Amino acid sequence: MKVVAEKLSRKVPDRLTVENISFEVTPGKVLGLLGPDGAGKTTILRMILDLVKPDEGSVRFDDQKLKPEIRNQIGYLPEARGVYPHHRVIDILIYFARLKRLSRKKAQVEAVRHLDRFDMIDFMEHTVQELPPEMQQKVQILVTIVHDPKLLILDEPFLGMANLNQDLIKKLILRYKEEQRTVILATQQMNLAESLCDQILLLHQGRAILQGSVGQIRKKYRENLVLVEGEDNLTDLKKISGVRKFLLQNQVARLYVDPNQPVQKVLDQIIKQVRITRLEVNRPSLEDIYLEAVNNQGEA
Amino acid sequence: MRNLWIITGWEFWRHLKSRSFILATFVPPLLFTVVAFILFFFYRESRTPQPRVIGCVELDTTRYCEALQEKLNNFTLPGTGSPAVILMDIQADTTEPLRNLFQEVARLKHELDSLNDAYNRIKERRRYIFQRPNSPTKERLLRQTYEQLHMTREQRDLAEIEFNRKKAYVDSLWQAQILRTADSLLFNQIVEGYLILRGEELLNGEVEFHSIYPNQFLQIEPLKTVLQEFLVEMRLRQEGITISQIHEWLKPVVINEILVEGAKKREFSFLQSYLAPIIVVVFLFISIFTPAGFLFYSLLSEKGNRVLEVLMTSANSFQIIAGKILGLGFLGLVQILIWLLLTEGLILAELLSVENLTFFTLRNLGVFVLYFVLGYFFFAAIYVGIGTVYSDEDEAHHVHLVLRMLSISPILFSVPILMFPNAVFVRILSFIPFLTPTFMILRTPLGHPPEIDYVISIAVMLVSTIVALLVSIRLFRTSSLFYHHRPGWTEVWKLLWGKG
Repeated sequence: MKVVAEKLSRKVPDRLTVENISFEVTPGKVLGLLGPDGAGKTTILRMILDLVKPDEGSVRFDDQKLKPEIRNQIGYLPEARGVYPHHRVIDILIYFARLKRLSRKKAQVEAVRHLDRFDMIDFMEHTVQELPPEMQQKVQILVTIVHDPKLLILDEPFLGMANLNQDLIKKLILRYKEEQRTVILATQQMNLAESLCDQILLLHQGRAILQGSVGQIRKKYRENLVLVEGEDNLTDLKKISGVRKFLLQNQVARLYVDPNQPVQKVLDQIIKQVRITRLEVNRPSLEDIYLEAVNNQGEA
Repeated sequence: MRNLWIITGWEFWRHLKSRSFILATFVPPLLFTVVAFILFFFYRESRTPQPRVIGCVELDTTRYCEALQEKLNNFTLPGTGSPAVILMDIQADTTEPLRNLFQEVARLKHELDSLNDAYNRIKERRRYIFQRPNSPTKERLLRQTYEQLHMTREQRDLAEIEFNRKKAYVDSLWQAQILRTADSLLFNQIVEGYLILRGEELLNGEVEFHSIYPNQFLQIEPLKTVLQEFLVEMRLRQEGITISQIHEWLKPVVINEILVEGAKKREFSFLQSYLAPIIVVVFLFISIFTPAGFLFYSLLSEKGNRVLEVLMTSANSFQIIAGKILGLGFLGLVQILIWLLLTEGLILAELLSVENLTFFTLRNLGVFVLYFVLGYFFFAAIYVGIGTVYSDEDEAHHVHLVLRMLSISPILFSVPILMFPNAVFVRILSFIPFLTPTFMILRTPLGHPPEIDYVISIAVMLVSTIVALLVSIRLFRTSSLFYHHRPGWTEVWKLLWGKG
């Protein structure tokens, strides 16, 4: 399912504001909405799902507005999760599948099929509260996908999840990608997003500060990043020639080296100027890129 | 609409099997049955004929106590033949000094009587002398007896003063003593109360009754009737009326209390007329607030664990709210049905008499169910609004408690409602939506409210429910995604008119 959002904006006095967000995500692709808490990720997801109305802009699904038929092809996993603790796993799955327009019989079949796929068939008669926490998390994931959605929307899916379930979600996202379904993933764990997403929308205070495919972004921020930790005052390092940008946080200096400058020359100068305790040369991660982008925006 | 019915079914079945529903459905009737049986046995026990022992204090020597007991002997306990009231003649427990004083009074009385006799004798002698022919002896004897008469009269007057003084003193001591004895019998629970009879006051219709048990004053009526009869009989006797005629005239009136219900007439019963509507209201209250409470806490919990957010991606606000309200409403109807079946079971087991349920006509049952449905929808709509605005269970619980208290408050007015079911203030209060269901149900079996009251109250409930529902859907749409933040009143107002 192709999802196109155009100029989404929502302003609520004294609350989070989202401004002018546009993106397009096509079947077989994963879009990552990245940013820290309060960046506006959940609000954007809610606008996609029509849980909140945008002041401006629109979202279209395969060139159509959100209709019940489309709604039934969406699977949504909210940020904080829970299910009915006193009810049997199978009943919960059938209930949510039926709400997505599956017939009773089809809902039963799909529930059993998904339980089997997630190695939970032996627990279908158990109530949720009888299951260990990681199993309960699996039920929450199953509720999201029991109706085989064409569009999967995940809000902070890795947050609070057991490691095994994190892997399960990663595999699920990759499977959906392979099966040419669409995935929108909102997360603040940028390293995970980097490995899963095809397209990225970096958000800061409700605004898109960087947008594009991971490859495009990497190309744009292809310079080397030198991390320096030392006992001396590190502020002088920003005067080193070839350093395009300098950031100092918690006695860790980040030196963004101009791509046309040799890194070795910069390293020599650092060693000469300060007593270092740690020195690393990296390609900037998404988090570094995010930080730089935020910083750039602040300067602008 | 399909999702509405799926949610309805889900909410119905999941709560039907819940422990809370089973407890709310079976514990109250069980509790009521137990309490009713205890009260019944207590009532029966208290009705078991037991003669009342009443003391009788006579502050003179008219012997009214004895005569009154004779009269009371005619009033026997049903089925036993023994007197319903035993009148205990209370005598003063006289001490040695008091006895000495009595003797002293008796001596003074004797002395006074002797002087009276002597005086009368002298007077008699003077009359005899006076009739004799005039002579110096006659003159002398008259002079002599005159001096004797004068002296004796002086002595008698002095003795009379002394006697009266002493007697008044001893009488007051004796009366105090006899009242002390009566109080002691009362405090030692030998008598339940005592009458004080003073001859002159009794003839004027004044009698004092002393007791330490408040309930004795509630049961004074039979004693009063007997005293009244006794007094009237005594006065009639003084007028020379024959005893048989007196008894004929004093034959008591028996009033058969018949309650007219439409074309039907039946004997008036306190249980049917007053207690039963209150019991129905209490059960109605439970049947409204059990499902409404489920709805409230289900919304709070679904909001807390974000299930509501997932539901909102599958169904619209109306489908979610209507589905929940309907599902739990059916649950309330099932609860009422179970209670009706339990009542039927009690009747079949002959533990409950059909006569006590005559107010349960088909029409009244229809009225009860109608007001249950209206009341439930109204409170459920309000609960949806509150449940979605609040995210903290403790805070929401306080509001829930206030609403419950508000709706059950008519029970506090139940006596005036039942006494004056169609009074203006009762009619006005019946049109306040929070009170309407309970007021109308309390009024229905006893007051036969005017048709217009039904029309107005139903219209009020329908309009209030629609308004509450619209407001709640609006609040649900705008604030069900607020977590860890309870909007203030101004914010709620803005949410009502703002965008979703």
